[in-house]
Amino acid sequence: MYATNYHRASSVEEAVNLLKSGDDAKFVSGGQTLIPTMKQRLAAPSDLVDLRHIDAMKGISIDGVQVTIGAATTHAEVASSAELAGVCAAICSLAAHIGDPAVRHMGTIGGSVANNDPAADYPAAVLGLDAQVRTSKRTIDAADFFNGMFDTALEEDEVITAITFQAPEKAAYVKYPNPASRYAMCGVFAARLKDGSVRVAITGAGNDGVFRHTEMEEALAADWSPAAIASCSVDEGDMLSDIHGDSAYRANLVRVIAKRAVEAAA
Amino acid sequence: MDLNGEEFIPAPRERVWEMLNDPEILRQCIPGCETLEQAEPDQFSAEVVLKIGPVKARFNGEVFIKDKNFPDGYRIEGEGKGGIAGFASGGADVILKEQEDGTLLEYRVDANVGGKIAQLGSRLITSTSKKLAGQFFGKFSELAAQAQTA
Repeated sequence: MYATNYHRASSVEEAVNLLKSGDDAKFVSGGQTLIPTMKQRLAAPSDLVDLRHIDAMKGISIDGVQVTIGAATTHAEVASSAELAGVCAAICSLAAHIGDPAVRHMGTIGGSVANNDPAADYPAAVLGLDAQVRTSKRTIDAADFFNGMFDTALEEDEVITAITFQAPEKAAYVKYPNPASRYAMCGVFAARLKDGSVRVAITGAGNDGVFRHTEMEEALAADWSPAAIASCSVDEGDMLSDIHGDSAYRANLVRVIAKRAVEAAA
Repeated sequence: MDLNGEEFIPAPRERVWEMLNDPEILRQCIPGCETLEQAEPDQFSAEVVLKIGPVKARFNGEVFIKDKNFPDGYRIEGEGKGGIAGFASGGADVILKEQEDGTLLEYRVDANVGGKIAQLGSRLITSTSKKLAGQFFGKFSELAAQAQTA
């Protein structure tokens, strides 16, 4: 790893100012992707601005059906929140299966969503719950947030402060993890929202990051059952292909995991 | 790794050919290209910053134009070394087909990466190449359309 300057911000404003004053500064919020990348010398930011200690960005609050998760909340905190499990157990179970315990105690929801790794779990939940991404500048709907793998609507100096969503009527997240990294080879977040609409958000399988499968959503809106989506088509051309599984394998995996998610949320 | 694509360019074939051989146009189209200088006819030295997610690597390399066949197409190749990050090389066969109100540009891209960047990013090389090729030809089409209306 090359030398870098570490800054611990205590407010969002301070974090933004620190980022702007650095030569080639980067936000870090858990660093479960960025630090290994820096150790490999594949990234060498001059300054790191740590967002994990900003009090205003921590914790989970629930007001009726409205859920707000601070961006600096760790996966372990989301996984173990009994209050959150009461309104949306799917997101707790998702967080409980990210990486390993070390990752879950360092990594944060804001960091995961901002990074938008094409195999990360949280982007599927954000899209699947039709959540809003609250930032230092604005509020962005999930539908407008993800721009293909590793790409988001965020500007360079924009910080995610919280993720908010309405508790769904029912939801489940099922993933088929890579046995070594536990990254999703395919992860499906299936939900029926309070307004009756259905979301099927898929991570790990698409070659351009998280995506919604509208054909499955329509089928499930009419009939919430695994059988309803058994014949839905998944375009192999849009699937990732790598040493862990080719695109035909992944296209089939999407159908299999989606059926399991629907069953789990029944 | 191979991938194909096509892009409709609203400009006559001769004009598209000229643009494909213009270093300034190429510089603007190559994603992350900071400098592109002509070293010899059909050979350029380039500095490219590859930025994908957490990875940010600077490559110094060469861009070659080969198999020129006016105005049907050519092959453009690039290779670069990113220091400790590894190396990357790739190319695209470009075919220009005349159409009624413009030109159809077909491309076939191949790419290879090695070193650490390949280790870390092996699951992402195909999608990254697809994205970069899309950016290159998308930008090219945009510039050609601009030149046409200007």
